Amino acid sequence: MSSVIELNEVSKVFRVLNRHEGMKGSIRDLFSRDYRDVVAVHEVSMQVESGEIVGYLGPNGAGKSTTIKMMTGILEPTGGKLLVNGRVPYENRTANAQNIGVVFGQRSQLWWALPVIESFKILKEIYRIPDDVYRHNMHRYEELVGVDELYDKPVRQMSLGQRTLCDILASFLHDPPVVFLDEPTIGLDVSMKAKIRELILSLNQEKNTTVILTTHDMGDVEALCRRIMIIDQGKKIYDDSIDRLKQFFGAYRTLKIMPEKPGDLAAEKLDDYKEGLVGRLPGAKDTVFSVDGEWLSILIPEDKLPLMNVVSCIDSIFPVRDIRIDEISTESVIRKIYEEAEAMRHG
Amino acid sequence: MAEKKNLKSYLVLTKAGIMEAFMFRTSLFLNIIGNLAYMVVMYFLWKAIFASRSETSVNGMTFEDTLVYLSMAGAIFSSLEVFLVWKMGREIQSGEFALHFTKPLDYFFREFFYVAGNVILQTFTTLIPTFIIVGCLTGWKMPLGVNLLFFPVAFFFALLLNYSIDFIVGTMCLYTQSFWGINIVKEVIISVMSGAAVPLAFFPEVFRNVAMYLPFQAIYNLPLQILISRSMTTVDYVKAIGIQAGWFLVLMLIGRLFFRRSSKIITVNGG
Amino acid sequence: MDTGNTKVKRDFFFYPRIYAMIVTQSIKSKMSYRADFLISTFGMIATNLAGFLSFWLIFHTFPSINGWHFSETMFLYSFSLVALSASQIFFDNNWGLRFQLRSGDFVKYCFRPINLFFYFVSEEIDLKGIGQMVFGIVLLVYSWNNLSIPVTAGNILMLLVLLFSASLIMIAMMTAAAATGFWIINSGMVMVFLFKFKEYAAYPMTIFNRAFQLVFSILIPIGFMAFYPSLYFLRPESVSPVTYLTPVAAILFFYAAYKFWMRGARQYSGTGS
Repeated sequence: MSSVIELNEVSKVFRVLNRHEGMKGSIRDLFSRDYRDVVAVHEVSMQVESGEIVGYLGPNGAGKSTTIKMMTGILEPTGGKLLVNGRVPYENRTANAQNIGVVFGQRSQLWWALPVIESFKILKEIYRIPDDVYRHNMHRYEELVGVDELYDKPVRQMSLGQRTLCDILASFLHDPPVVFLDEPTIGLDVSMKAKIRELILSLNQEKNTTVILTTHDMGDVEALCRRIMIIDQGKKIYDDSIDRLKQFFGAYRTLKIMPEKPGDLAAEKLDDYKEGLVGRLPGAKDTVFSVDGEWLSILIPEDKLPLMNVVSCIDSIFPVRDIRIDEISTESVIRKIYEEAEAMRHG
Repeated sequence: MAEKKNLKSYLVLTKAGIMEAFMFRTSLFLNIIGNLAYMVVMYFLWKAIFASRSETSVNGMTFEDTLVYLSMAGAIFSSLEVFLVWKMGREIQSGEFALHFTKPLDYFFREFFYVAGNVILQTFTTLIPTFIIVGCLTGWKMPLGVNLLFFPVAFFFALLLNYSIDFIVGTMCLYTQSFWGINIVKEVIISVMSGAAVPLAFFPEVFRNVAMYLPFQAIYNLPLQILISRSMTTVDYVKAIGIQAGWFLVLMLIGRLFFRRSSKIITVNGG
Repeated sequence: MDTGNTKVKRDFFFYPRIYAMIVTQSIKSKMSYRADFLISTFGMIATNLAGFLSFWLIFHTFPSINGWHFSETMFLYSFSLVALSASQIFFDNNWGLRFQLRSGDFVKYCFRPINLFFYFVSEEIDLKGIGQMVFGIVLLVYSWNNLSIPVTAGNILMLLVLLFSASLIMIAMMTAAAATGFWIINSGMVMVFLFKFKEYAAYPMTIFNRAFQLVFSILIPIGFMAFYPSLYFLRPESVSPVTYLTPVAAILFFYAAYKFWMRGARQYSGTGS
């Protein structure tokens, strides 16, 4: 069975003009042939099956947007094979668009000045959605998030949360096999984030829609994705399940300690604390110290250093009032991945 | 001493204005081509128009006079297109406008010096080349004497006048959302009643008399008359400048009063 | 879930229907801004009136332009006004293209399964252009009567065809100008530059020498906006072949502009990485 999304060694190289300074430079640039090649995406391969929710992560400038743009048919790959729903997106823009949904976190694609129900009606026409499918979906939307309360409101008058909600509903309206969500929960408050995540989950389950979710929010990832792909500097550096991710870096746990004296909890003192601990336990050199609210947070690689060993030394750091042990958060693992990739680049 | 410091700060803005205008090299280039095109079209149009009458001079103007008049009117128009109203309108709509009150210098003068920089640039890139080209086209039949000294002065006052009117119209934008409508009406009134589109010499008597009492003809008609009229004396030139100066004072006063009255509204609305 | 919807069957009225829906709603939402609409329309009519006045003043002193009298010039002027209105009313979004490109908002047009240009154009409608159209039509009817042009079915048909063609010329010009924005920053200035030439469309092309007649027929085709088509009605005994060329020129220019615009749109890739 062929996958819904298939990338095979896909690359994208941009030709960028080497610009020069000043007025003379600008004039020279007009006639210049001095280009350099910027590799935005380098031989990325991936296969996504029907119904998956895939988290697509990476630092800014990593090439996420570029890959998404290739999958949605805006950019043409410079190399490799890229198929969405069995089609080459760039060469079949309209056919591809018929079978995908797209949401860009901050930018609404709905008609700004019109009551949102009119946007839905227009989309029904544009995507040639049959009457019964339209009615069924709208009814379901009313049940899921009470969208009927918003029908008469122009999108321009909506809050960011309401707008994003409607954009997501719109993207699923024509029952596309694939939906691309780019930072859907950005700028939203906690309860709205939860509402939107619930919505995405419900729609994915009911319609078996494949969802590619680009995000920087770990809450999104943990709530929705069972599979994560990480891209950095145009290359895919991780593509597997979320559980495997935690195992990938060995067992990590976070030890949190609250000092007796709040004054002891100072960012400047962190290096000293770590030095002190390393003095007692050489294996502690791979730990990561940070301040988390009222707690001193120590990320411990358990395969190198049993957590309990650290616990027995903590009074050497400062007098302790309380301790807590956290399981590894996806966020810190991913941060570690970014850091390691960065280190490899400079190493 | 404080006055010198003030003047210096204003002049710095003028320099900034010139530099920004320089950034828009494309607009300069297109402006020049546009003016040339206008000149060419006016040349053919009025040649055909004058051909319909047997006299070479109609209401005191020959074909050459008319061509010089209209070409220079077009050049003046280009030079004055400083988009002040657009700038003000946009700034009011975006809320940037309120920031102006935090800056130390007087708004009216600050904007003026900024604008002056752009105009100086236009004088050398538009006004003078146009004059030379149209002069050659018409065989330099225009009067070439003291009037050539008075014309730059008159152009300067034309700028001041146009600026004051723009200032008043721009202030009106505090009252209404749509500035396009107001601006377009202003442009239309000026272009017709100032003699910019059609020389006042060709107006029916009644209209001409009305136009002479309005400030708009001081922007175009007066400077252009100084340039091409064969019947004006030095005294007439001075009188013309005087009329311009008078109108400028009146409009500046109205503008500043209007602006001060209207600024209160912004502080009430909270921007 | 329906994955079989790959080859979408669209009927002939697909685009008209969608356009009607979007535009009806747009107009509804704009009508709530009554003051804005009235001021803009007033401004528009004031501009047209000023144009009319300019001609009136000229003809007050001079009998003709190259043998073309006041009524005939009024015919040309009103013809051009009506022709220009279509671009003004329906293709207004072109003026906003450069801003949408810079902000990245333009990408949204690329995600829908409908023609890019169509979607882009349908986004904006400019109601004040209606004022100009009405003014033009009234003046056109007046001139038509004044010149005692026979009101036959044939004439009416030709009028509609020629007006439509003339509209396409202006649309083509402004679309091409706006499309430069896909490649250069200062496309706004290009648009303003070309926009000004519409003023000259009301003048008879015969005032120009050969060279400029060519320029204004092929390079900046204002000749086709009013003069050449109007010859059908103003000089029916000796209709120039160029008049019949108007629809052909219109289609050619529009097609070229459309292709140019689409080329730019397809190579646009938005902001961000």
